[in-house]
Formats: sequence, C-alpha cells, structure tokens
Amino acid sequence: MSDKQLQIPVEPGHRAAGGTNPYRGVFDRLSDFCRARSLFLLHYCTGCGAIELPPAMTSRYDMERLGIQPMATPRQADILLVTGYVATKTLKRIMLTYEQMSAPRYVIGICSCTVNGGMYWQSYATVKKLNEYLPVDMYIAGCMPRPEAVIVGLQKLMDKIEAGRAESWKDYYRNYDYYLGKQQALFGERWQTPTDIIAEARRYDLFGPGTLGEHTALLEQYQQPLEMPSAPVFGREREKIER
Amino acid sequence: MDSGKELASWLDKVLEDFQGVQVRRKSTSRVRVDVDADALPALLELLQGRAGYVHLSALSCVDWIDDDEFELVYHVWSYETRSLVSAHIRIPRDPGAYLSVYDIYKPAAFFERDIFEMFGVFFEGSPHMEKFILTEWDGPPPMRKEFDTRKYVHDTFDWQQYNPEWLQEIRAKGGGIVE
Repeated sequence: MSDKQLQIPVEPGHRAAGGTNPYRGVFDRLSDFCRARSLFLLHYCTGCGAIELPPAMTSRYDMERLGIQPMATPRQADILLVTGYVATKTLKRIMLTYEQMSAPRYVIGICSCTVNGGMYWQSYATVKKLNEYLPVDMYIAGCMPRPEAVIVGLQKLMDKIEAGRAESWKDYYRNYDYYLGKQQALFGERWQTPTDIIAEARRYDLFGPGTLGEHTALLEQYQQPLEMPSAPVFGREREKIER
Repeated sequence: MDSGKELASWLDKVLEDFQGVQVRRKSTSRVRVDVDADALPALLELLQGRAGYVHLSALSCVDWIDDDEFELVYHVWSYETRSLVSAHIRIPRDPGAYLSVYDIYKPAAFFERDIFEMFGVFFEGSPHMEKFILTEWDGPPPMRKEFDTRKYVHDTFDWQQYNPEWLQEIRAKGGGIVE
C-alpha cells in the first residue's frame, strides 16, 4: 500500500431518502438493488386471503421468478404478509412476530379486512386499522385480491425498496410510543414483548422524538424479567430454606 | 329403516312417561324436547344411560331478552338409532346460572366454558370457568343482546379514510355502505 490515498468520488445521499449516512449514495443503493431482488415472505395467514397465496407462489403465477420466496420463520423473513382479518388476539401474535423480524422489514396488509375491518367492521374482536399498531408499507385491498393483484403489489414494493423509499419500519422505532399506546389500549397497560425496541432504537441510531413517551413509561413501570429464575433446589439447600 | 321407526316410536313412549316434557318430533331422526330446567339432568341421564344417546354434540344458548330468559339447548346424538334429541330449557336471565352436566357428559365442560364466556351463564360444578377464547377481553359477555357491538366498535377503534372511485360511483347513484 502506498501513502497515497485512493480517492473514490462519492455522491452524498439525500436526506429526503431518509438516510443520515452520506455514503448511502453508493452502498445502500447497491444493497437496495440486491434486497429488492431477494425477498423472503412470511405469510401470516390470519384469514381467507391466504388462499390466494399458494397459486401466487407455485407454478401458475410463480412468484419465485421475481425473487420472492416463502419463508417459515420470522427471523429470516423480510416481508410480513398479513392476509386477512386481524382479531385482537391475533394482533398480539402479529406484534410478537413483527418485532422478531430483522430489519429492514416490510409489512403488507392484504384484503379489505386489514384496511378497515372489511366485512368484520362491526365486530368487537376485530382490529380495524392495522397501521395503528405497526407501520404498514402497503395495502392490497380487495376481498380477496387475486394473485395478479398480490404480485403487482409486491412488484410495487420492490420498486419502493429499490428507490430507498420503503422505510416505514424505521417509523416503528421513531414513533414507538404511538404504536405502543395503541397496543396498550387493546392489550392493557401491562403489555410487553420480549424485544426491547427502545434499546434497539438507540443501538441502530433510530431514536426519535416519539420513541419515548407516556406509554413507554408505563412499559418500563411494569417491565418484568421474561424468564423467572426458578432453578429447583433439592437436598440440604432446600432443608436450609425450609428451616 | 323399520327398526329406526320402531326405535323412534319407542323413544316417544319413553319420553311420554317423563313428567313436564313436551315432545315435538321433527322427523325420524330429530326430536325436540322442551323440558323444565329442574328435570333436564334426569332427562339427560335417562337418554344417555337407557337410550344410548352417548354423544353430546353441542350445547347452545339463545338470549331471549324480551322474555328475560336464556334458552339452553342440549343436542344429544345416538349412534345406535342415528337420531338427535334437542332438549330445550329456559332459565331466568338473572342470575343466569345453571347446573353443569359435566358429570353426565364430559364434553359439556368445553361448551359450558364457551357459553360462560359469551353469554355470562355460570354453570355450577363445571370444572373450568376461566377465560377461553376471548383472552384479551374484559368487557361484558359479547353475545348478550344488550351488548351493543356497533357502539363498542365506534368507541374503541378509528377508521381509515377509504373512498375509492368505485365507491364514489355507487354513492353517486344513491347507494353506498348501509349500516
């Protein structure tokens, strides 16, 4: 290596694209290009919309030619596909799933039910607006949308990812207090998940003015260790305790 | 088929002897029995022990708010005669409690727990009366007629602005979403 430094002309990134990193112009554009072509899809089949996914995935419409594959676990998936009505009980599981997914993560709400409750609009047990509880990148309305519509929606998401605009997952960190407040309104103020979103926001430089607030204060107030230390004690140690 | 008819007429005779019972035969395989609430456990015991109605296929509840009564319907099925007996009882809405038939039909625990959650009818002697399906729910039992689900929904949830072109076209013609 010589003393002379290699000069690479680097175009600074645009703040409008949501990046604070000036090198976004090069590396992130490349990674966005690759990311948009390799999407793993976690289909959380909450309702009837799931029935349109097998034809979309298999030989008839073949989503794999676009680089989209189904994935079995949330930790390895990029897209969370919520396919149908979301009951309050289901939403709890969706939140646990969503928070487990590694960033960047994208959420698509399929069917009218995720938009406004759909045909379950007057049900006490069905959540109406999915994007109150987690940031949704895209809705594909319809009851149910045909596989073509699902694929067009996914293509639009791919375009969005490639353009660096699919960044609503950052909103979950920046406005965590809002989302948590909506979740607490349904699940009670003692609601907590295994994922420490606030710490993640600090770690990944996504801490925003809306990250902390009254709802996260409640979260910290009721925070409990997830696994209670309960190693069984036998023999003389137990006798000591009993004495 | 003849034996089925014979069994059916035999069942009618057995039920005629039972006091406080009104039997309405719908077909060879369906009988509706209206019975006093006190006599129901004895009737079910008779049906299960003597007539082979070993399968409690469902236990349903109807809220007759104008009569101030709950109706409980016990559907029991016999594999031998291939017929269903629906035993209907009425219990007062207040306090809305009844005896469990868990000791006669074990699957009753499942249905009773469900009805307690949805209608608030307490079954004395049922082994599990805690939350079942609505684990995130602390409101009133939602299937009771006095529970206004539409009001609850409007109070609890917000709505998305959703006014696509096709809906505007329908509205222009005088249609639209009907509540």
